[in-house]
Amino acid sequence: MSIDWPNTVLEVVERKPLLVKNPKTWSHIHSYGGWGRFFDGLRERKILATHCKNPACGEKRLWLPPRCECPDCWHETAWVEAPQRGKIYTWSVVKYPGELFKLPAGTPLISVELEGVCTKLMSWLKEGKPEIGMPVRAVFNTERPTHTILDLAWVPA
Amino acid sequence: MIKFGNGNLRIPKFERPVYVVAGGLTDYRKRYPEKNTSQLCTEALRMAVEENDLKVDPEEVRRSVNWCVYSQFADHFGDQLLAAAKIHDYLGFDPLGNIEVKTGGATGGSAVLAAAQAVASGYASCVPVVGWERMDEVSTKVGNSYIASAACKDFESELGWMYAAYYALMAQRYQYENNVPRDTLARIACKNHEYARYSPYAQNPGKYTVKEVLENDIVSHPLSFLECCVMSVGAAVLLLCDEETAHRFTEKPVQLKAIAGGSHTLRTADRRDMPILLLPNETPETYRHYFEERRDSWPGFSSFLASRMAAYLAYNMAGIKDPLTDFDLLETHDAFTISDVQTYEDIGLRPYGRGREFIESGDAYFEGRLPTNLSGGLIGTMHAVGATGIFQIVELLWQLQGHYDKFHGDPQLWRRYGKEKPADWRSLQVKNAKRGCAISHAGTGSHVTCAILEKV
Repeated sequence: MSIDWPNTVLEVVERKPLLVKNPKTWSHIHSYGGWGRFFDGLRERKILATHCKNPACGEKRLWLPPRCECPDCWHETAWVEAPQRGKIYTWSVVKYPGELFKLPAGTPLISVELEGVCTKLMSWLKEGKPEIGMPVRAVFNTERPTHTILDLAWVPA
Repeated sequence: MIKFGNGNLRIPKFERPVYVVAGGLTDYRKRYPEKNTSQLCTEALRMAVEENDLKVDPEEVRRSVNWCVYSQFADHFGDQLLAAAKIHDYLGFDPLGNIEVKTGGATGGSAVLAAAQAVASGYASCVPVVGWERMDEVSTKVGNSYIASAACKDFESELGWMYAAYYALMAQRYQYENNVPRDTLARIACKNHEYARYSPYAQNPGKYTVKEVLENDIVSHPLSFLECCVMSVGAAVLLLCDEETAHRFTEKPVQLKAIAGGSHTLRTADRRDMPILLLPNETPETYRHYFEERRDSWPGFSSFLASRMAAYLAYNMAGIKDPLTDFDLLETHDAFTISDVQTYEDIGLRPYGRGREFIESGDAYFEGRLPTNLSGGLIGTMHAVGATGIFQIVELLWQLQGHYDKFHGDPQLWRRYGKEKPADWRSLQVKNAKRGCAISHAGTGSHVTCAILEKV
């Protein structure tokens, strides 16, 4: 018997030096695991954060992005709603985003300061011009959710 | 971690001294299709063993090697898992043991740390550290996306798929708190592009004015292209040895007095406030008036706890009292102009909030108090990520050995890379340099190493 040469050939980009094009087209099936609850929450217009359930733990504030376990004492955390109004801690307008960015170049990125939260969530500003200290409120992409962090955005409050 | 226990701040100790005896580089290019990665690594290794005035021939070096450390940031750039096994084979080091290290942008620094640990513990006596990155298989836009997959893919990468944007967020906050004139930031870019002009290895040399840097296209507000590091292909090699081997190999061994690492959250977002960790040249008095309405926390977005931690450990390990006077040379991880100013503060060249003075005073320049990034740094010369932290230490080694001219001024070397030595080339050799420091840095400060080298 004789086996045929392969049908699939690599495109030659250049002869000298020899450059060939390796196509990559497959998908990763990614699990958010315990953080999935946060993304479910966005579809219900809720920002779900977590806090440590251990009464002896020194960190009483909320984690957002949520953590399923407390990094200070390794105890389990509990889900709780975070405030939907906060202030812009810092911002940038990304002019040359990388491949895969689902929003247009020129979208303002922001970090949001929320009362009672120990972190400054990175997000984006859907309307208006960003400024440090500017009050903002959360808006949610519930119609055609992307199931990513982009389903949460902020507008001037 | 907000509260330290005693064990957390233990000063690292080498059981026996560690020496750096030789270094080798390739030139760095945006695209390097002429050579595959094994060729680049071999080229850097050959430079290390053939051109560093060693007292032994390359074959004797090979016979002395007993452990290897490899340094590559991203498997998906090279599109070859276990690339280290292939490089190790092509370099002819089978069947010796080896390990590959990965800590993002600080991979090179961490690889040197791993090699130093092997020598210091007695596990090994002669260790090549080989680093490389091949970033030219994909477009720049895909490359940026790959780099941004070293941010948190669940909660941050989607926001731009662009690391410069994550630094830009820090830059804006730093500026809000400290109000550094844009000119000062641009001067860092001008300086490093300028020093890159004297390096045959440099990818992005250039004579730029502050105005040109500021008027250059913006990547992510406020950072312009000329204020950001390059994306490179290339390799770097460093040879670490114990005392006996070092003296057998070279007349000019340089001691690696200390190298230490720190870390902080991958997401900048998760950096909780804590008391400032003080360096030997600071006291609580240094920061009595630091906190005010705008500067409401530390490290916040303005400071890198990982850099502070690495400097704290390395300074105490090497007995550094004041980095500005104790060091003669510095290589920082100038991925962006703003992160360079932040680093000046983290490593104690100026107190927090006053990093700009390090540039404005002239300290950071050749013939200043602490010349910084005479190599051209990441902005001017290279950022072939896995090679970067090694490249920095190679450049320090050559400076401390008095070999800057040999490795930068030889017209043959320029021609090797298809370049002509510039007519206005000048030597950046620091006279009587005794001690140098190199900072290797990952993420928005997820891993940082601080290395201290001293002429014996």
